[in-house]
Amino acid sequence: MLSSHKKILLLSLGVSVFLALVPLLTKRNDFINILILIFLYICLAQSWNILAGYAGQVSLGHAAFFGLGAITARFLWVLGYPFFLAFLIGGIVAVVFALIIGHPALRLKGIYFAIGTLGFGQILKITVGNVLPTVADLPGDYIATYSLIPRYYLFLVLAVITVAVVYWINHSKLGLGMVAVREDEEAAKASGVNTFRQKMIALVISTFFAGLAGGAFAFYQVSYYHDLPFSPIWTFDALLITFVGGVGTIIGPIIGAFFYTIFKELFARTFPELHVFIFGILFILVVLLLPGGLVEMAARIRKLLTSKKAVAPTV
Amino acid sequence: MLEIEKINVSYGDLQALWDVVFEVNQKEIVALIGPNGAGKTTTLKSVSGLLRPFAGEIKFEGVEVGKMQIHKRVEMGISLVPEGRGLFPGMTVLENLELGAFTAKGRSSKEETLKQVYGLFPILEKRKKQAAGTLSGGEQQMLAIGRGLMSKPKLLLFDEPSWGLSPLLSKVIYEVIGQINSSGVTILLIEQNVRIALELAKRAYIIENGRIVNQGDSQNMLNDQHLREAYLGTESV
Amino acid sequence: MSWQVFAQSLLFGIFVGGLYGLAAVGLSLVFGVMKMLNVAHGELLMLGGYATFWFFSLYHIDPFLSLLPSAFILFVIGMGLYKGLFSPLSKLHEEVKIKNSLLIGFGLSLIFHNLAIRLWTADERSVSVIYSGWGFSLFGLRFPFIRFSGLVLATIVILALHQFLTKTYFGKAIRATTENWESAALMGINIEKTSMISFGFGAALAAMAGTIVSVGYAIHPAMGLEWTLKALIVVVLAGLGNIGGAFFAGVLLGAVESVSTLFVGPYMEVVGLVIFLLVLELKPQGLFGKSIA
Repeated sequence: MLSSHKKILLLSLGVSVFLALVPLLTKRNDFINILILIFLYICLAQSWNILAGYAGQVSLGHAAFFGLGAITARFLWVLGYPFFLAFLIGGIVAVVFALIIGHPALRLKGIYFAIGTLGFGQILKITVGNVLPTVADLPGDYIATYSLIPRYYLFLVLAVITVAVVYWINHSKLGLGMVAVREDEEAAKASGVNTFRQKMIALVISTFFAGLAGGAFAFYQVSYYHDLPFSPIWTFDALLITFVGGVGTIIGPIIGAFFYTIFKELFARTFPELHVFIFGILFILVVLLLPGGLVEMAARIRKLLTSKKAVAPTV
Repeated sequence: MLEIEKINVSYGDLQALWDVVFEVNQKEIVALIGPNGAGKTTTLKSVSGLLRPFAGEIKFEGVEVGKMQIHKRVEMGISLVPEGRGLFPGMTVLENLELGAFTAKGRSSKEETLKQVYGLFPILEKRKKQAAGTLSGGEQQMLAIGRGLMSKPKLLLFDEPSWGLSPLLSKVIYEVIGQINSSGVTILLIEQNVRIALELAKRAYIIENGRIVNQGDSQNMLNDQHLREAYLGTESV
Repeated sequence: MSWQVFAQSLLFGIFVGGLYGLAAVGLSLVFGVMKMLNVAHGELLMLGGYATFWFFSLYHIDPFLSLLPSAFILFVIGMGLYKGLFSPLSKLHEEVKIKNSLLIGFGLSLIFHNLAIRLWTADERSVSVIYSGWGFSLFGLRFPFIRFSGLVLATIVILALHQFLTKTYFGKAIRATTENWESAALMGINIEKTSMISFGFGAALAAMAGTIVSVGYAIHPAMGLEWTLKALIVVVLAGLGNIGGAFFAGVLLGAVESVSTLFVGPYMEVVGLVIFLLVLELKPQGLFGKSIA
């Protein structure tokens, strides 16, 4: 029998292949758009999960890096550079900013790091909003050649890679180091872990993928206000999705992203933003009662069901 | 008055006390002595309510208090002078004392008790408008004790009253503790300085590694050879 | 640029700074007692503003008259929020407690934001009274009545709070809990009750600031984050737990922001945020604060 490790890989491969075939199986754009959103949220949430779930650093400025990736990629792409290059540079720009502020920011204690990143995010949003108060439009010929399919694959690949990275972190020595920092930074430091380096690495990986997600967004969304990708909603989305799904797990953000997007679409016509309200309440419940999120809930239910089948102990 | 019945206390996963049993009778002075980390402070914290035992009972005047909230125990008459004084450093001496009288019982006799405390520790009256954090070590200990008295306790707990004090000051503090006891307050104190504790207390318990290992009349303990070597050094009494 | 433009700008900054200070004092009080940072503080301020708006648009009650009732409503809501959401965290280890309280506050802010949109739509609202445009002039500078009253009110409230904290038993209990909660408990102070009431006070203070904002400025559902950030900046400037300093730091922030509008225009908020980040980095205990360690 295959090891569970291999089983998971095989299952993921199967799902990915199936998802890759979707555009060939259906022409329904609304269906493809929903999937794109799910993939986007998976990438957004997983990238946040790396820093907060694994390394334990709760950043409230995730949108800043999403925005940096978006604005860089959009500009370079509209200027005529091949999108893939613009997209990668977007991720790199996000990392550069992360390195600059990460150095002072990561030395701050938990709560200061959180509100510091919040402040940083706001600074970028206001600045971009002032420098570029207009809508980012696409040139006519870009719109004419716009096709959903390549965008679908871009998001699919991005989501798969991000999940793969989280999977790798979860099983690697690097991940162990991060978790050590998350659990007890002082103890980790005392046992020889270079905690600053761990946090920095997590920050770099996290912001790189956030930047890529932003770049993909810039490729997908035809027109939007320049400061939209910098809006704190993106940070909030990442937090809500990750926590409700299961922070610090591989599959948590995936489940969270799935339900978040479904709810969002479900209520889009009747009660827009209701999905935020619902997830907000779930979020609080998770923090207070079920820190492992839906993943933990699923595990508990499984345990409950399997224990019922247990044989009564003989006296 | 106070009965500790087989309490077991842990800090998270780390167990600190195993089946600890002892009692303190009314008007007594009882000492709990032992080396660093033996569980003395843990015991006092359990009696005062800062910690809850996961097994065992604590009875005060016959009432089970082990699960009672801290402020309710103070209202019942248990007062702790904590490790390191536990003063409110930014507040004045007078304010610290006033806070000691926070309970209804304390407030109703506040002025009278304040006079008594000033009588015991005249220096506190002199420094009453000063911030508690600016007092010397000895003065802080006096303030901590004075504050503990303000609630008019029936049982006063001391966590290492001689800590950080010179031998002379320690002697003074212990004399005051004796005076407090004479006025009718039951005392339970923990100390690392075994000699000074045994000279004042009537009975003592020895705690090591979270377990009571010995108990008895303090005079006998002072004379006990084995004990002398373990805790008092080989100097003659 | 004439000195008059500068001075007028400074004056307006001081007026709004008084409100920043009022908002910050509430946040600081809560942090001091509970050692938790409520990032939904700005939303409580917003709710206070909307309560005033409702009293005015539904019952035609003058906002200065509904100031106290609105504050009282938020006081009760605040206590309820504490009891239901923050109290369960109080037993946790310090770092986890702070992190979780941050998250709870975050969740609350989203819920309140949404609630506000649902109840009052996303549009800006303002309470317009007959005397909205009144004001007087002094030394050639304009003192709009409402904004000036905001400063006066903030000053009165802070002074009253100061009296309360220094002269009453419960006020001293709050200060004691802020300095050493274990010892406070050993004095017979009910820490749960004290925390709950302090949280209520924090909400009430925020609500009062919100009332003035609804009359003198404008309110809208998204304003929570903005005001939370302002309060955070002020609290960090003054030093976490420094209640008195928070008022002055608030006025300072308002003044600096307003004056910098003259030089950097729409980037005035960035100035405040940059100062915030600098203080966080260089002196986390604040400009007037004592060391956290």
